[in-house]
Amino acid sequence: MVRRIVAARVDDAAMADDLVQETLVRVLAAAGRVDAGMLEPYAIATARNVVATAWRDRDRQRRNQHRVVDLDTPDPPDTELLASEERAAVAEALARLGDRDREALLAHEVSGRDTRSLAAELGSTPGAVAAQLHRARARLRVEYLLARDHTEPPTDRCRPVLLALSSGDRRRQREVEAGRHLLECDACAGLSQPLLDRAPPREDAVRIPVDGDGDVVAARQAARELAARLGCFSRTDLTLIATAVSEVTRNIVKFAGSGEVVVEVLEEPRTGVRVTARDTGPGIPDVERALQDGYSTYAGLGLGLPGARRLMDEFAIASEVGRGTTVTMTRWCGER
Amino acid sequence: MTGPRLVSILRQGSHLIASVHTALDDTQMTAFQHDLVDRIGRDRSRGVVIDVAALDVLDSFATRTLRTIAEVARLRGAVTVVVGIQPDVAFAMVSLGMDTGALHTALDLEEGLALLDRIAGGRRPAVGARGGPA
Amino acid sequence: MTGYRGQGTTTGGPGGLDGLDGLEGLAEDQLLPQLVAHLREHRARLRHEWADRIQLAGLLHAMTPQEMAAETTSVYDNYVEVLETGSVEALQRYARDLSERIIPRGVETHEVVGIVLLLRDVLARSLFEKYQRDFGLLNRVLDAYEPAANRIANTVAVSFVEERERVIRQQQDSIRELSTPVLPVRERLLILPIIGVLDRERARQLTEQLLNGIRTHRARVVVIDITGVPEVDESVANHLVQTVDASRLMGASVIITGLSPVIAQTLVTIGVDLSKMDTIGDLQGGLEEAERLLGYPTAGGDDGTAP
Repeated sequence: MVRRIVAARVDDAAMADDLVQETLVRVLAAAGRVDAGMLEPYAIATARNVVATAWRDRDRQRRNQHRVVDLDTPDPPDTELLASEERAAVAEALARLGDRDREALLAHEVSGRDTRSLAAELGSTPGAVAAQLHRARARLRVEYLLARDHTEPPTDRCRPVLLALSSGDRRRQREVEAGRHLLECDACAGLSQPLLDRAPPREDAVRIPVDGDGDVVAARQAARELAARLGCFSRTDLTLIATAVSEVTRNIVKFAGSGEVVVEVLEEPRTGVRVTARDTGPGIPDVERALQDGYSTYAGLGLGLPGARRLMDEFAIASEVGRGTTVTMTRWCGER
Repeated sequence: MTGPRLVSILRQGSHLIASVHTALDDTQMTAFQHDLVDRIGRDRSRGVVIDVAALDVLDSFATRTLRTIAEVARLRGAVTVVVGIQPDVAFAMVSLGMDTGALHTALDLEEGLALLDRIAGGRRPAVGARGGPA
Repeated sequence: MTGYRGQGTTTGGPGGLDGLDGLEGLAEDQLLPQLVAHLREHRARLRHEWADRIQLAGLLHAMTPQEMAAETTSVYDNYVEVLETGSVEALQRYARDLSERIIPRGVETHEVVGIVLLLRDVLARSLFEKYQRDFGLLNRVLDAYEPAANRIANTVAVSFVEERERVIRQQQDSIRELSTPVLPVRERLLILPIIGVLDRERARQLTEQLLNGIRTHRARVVVIDITGVPEVDESVANHLVQTVDASRLMGASVIITGLSPVIAQTLVTIGVDLSKMDTIGDLQGGLEEAERLLGYPTAGGDDGTAP
């Protein structure tokens, strides 16, 4: 029921998920305080409030506002089932949190306690409490998704990866090689979708899923656009970058079938762009050889790697047979 | 196969003028190759000008495809000239290390047609199949 | 603000300066105007003292005494004005003007910073002399003076360095342009004389210039003269090959001239395929060949080209 209320107002599955979660956390927490017969109206009211708040808060508002419709209240029998499933999932997710996390989260989200008063009570600082709440929310999202789908992560690498994605901690995502894991693990790829969609679009990075021919063009155009925004690359620089991206992306399509290309703006140690092309294909048995063809014998192994390397300032390749290949290449601004 | 918006192939006298209007992916590029080669055969063209001025990247695949077209066209008795390669694209192509030695090239459509006329006029073009008497 | 009352209120400095009566009861924000009045009054003497110190320190020796006198006077007046108005913009403007004048004369950053610091010290010392009998007042005066003076020193130094960097950049740009001119000799024909050492960055700029030049001038033949290139190593050779290939892609033939036998041998040793390049001994021969390619009548032949 809550899902339907939210979904009727929100045309975006990931956002709807988020709002449903938020609503249910509140409803669930209020369950003790609200008369059993009141629970349903309370849930509807809460859902409306949550959605309304979300509309105020979110930029997406403008895009979707015309889709907001008024709620009719027919209640087909299965909505009750759906709602109870949601509730069960949230309850389970909450149960899987540590005691301290759960209490802090409920005190903050449901009772409306601010971080300052929580900090005073816990003998901590508001900053530390905020960080704890952030982690707890991240964990709740992950556990909710797992409970909703009635799945357990297939490997012990899954949870850390999902957590890093949920909390939006990029450093941690790199540490646990989140990108690579998502290519390898179908379960996590599916589970992570709402988490990834949740993240606000990054201004300084773009990720292009690579699945076929057309993505080669898409990747090089995205790379050119992002690099052009820096303002420090000449037209020739941009063409060199785009050409290099074209080559490494084609390798993914040709040898692995699918993968991804991530283009990021770098600030340190200098301004530049870094391109990461990643796949979980067959891998390259002899990387040295793939890189070592002479200047004019481009054809070589047909990987286009030596060419791409010549177009960029830095170039690294890691490949493992049976596990896939990651090409990382950078071009710096400057020297002109 | 290839949509009319991506490329256009026009006949002008005994020549074909093929213009690529937008970035092509590999499948579209290959389709373009087939279309063009078909037309060369059907029209018994003596010369083909391929205008790539609209392309901001000519990577290894695109370059190889252009070479293939030129080679197949040659076997069918037509000379191919690629025109409109932009300065930055040319620079990227050579930086990439593409072997483009056998490809006839000219600055733009006008120069390309002039080059074809010179070649068709029975005079072998000068150095590297470019230049020659104006 | 304390209710400070000076003790030796009637004593002038050793320089016979006026009494302190006017200052003792002053609010802090009135101290600076008083200082300024003092520095204006003794302008001639203090400026001289400063100029002497500059000479003693061996700074600005690139300037004639007249120039020195003129510049020190304007710096002094600007300095006092900034103390008075607190407006750094005027000083910045002046410092940039000054820098523009003196940079071409080879004045170094340390000299500019040096003279401003000397002026700061000369003035501080005169204040010290004037107020030394009243230590408390002296402290207040210096408290008002020092931050302002340091800000001025800072502003001048920064403006100078910025101006200097700008000039250097400008010079580098013009040198770069000079060293890689793409010369349209006649219709459809460009000459690119390369002089000096080719590094990666310069080779790249040169190629970009040439390629853009080919499009702008609709060039069909390019003569690259490398007589002025002292040595050709593998990377320079590769750049040359790239430049030739890229020019060809734009429809222009390239003739390389000035290739000495030694360099030619080097190229062959490196593995450069010279048969792919059209090379001709000297520039004159290269131009003749170019005109022949373009179909212009030349001294020794018709406009045809032998296969």
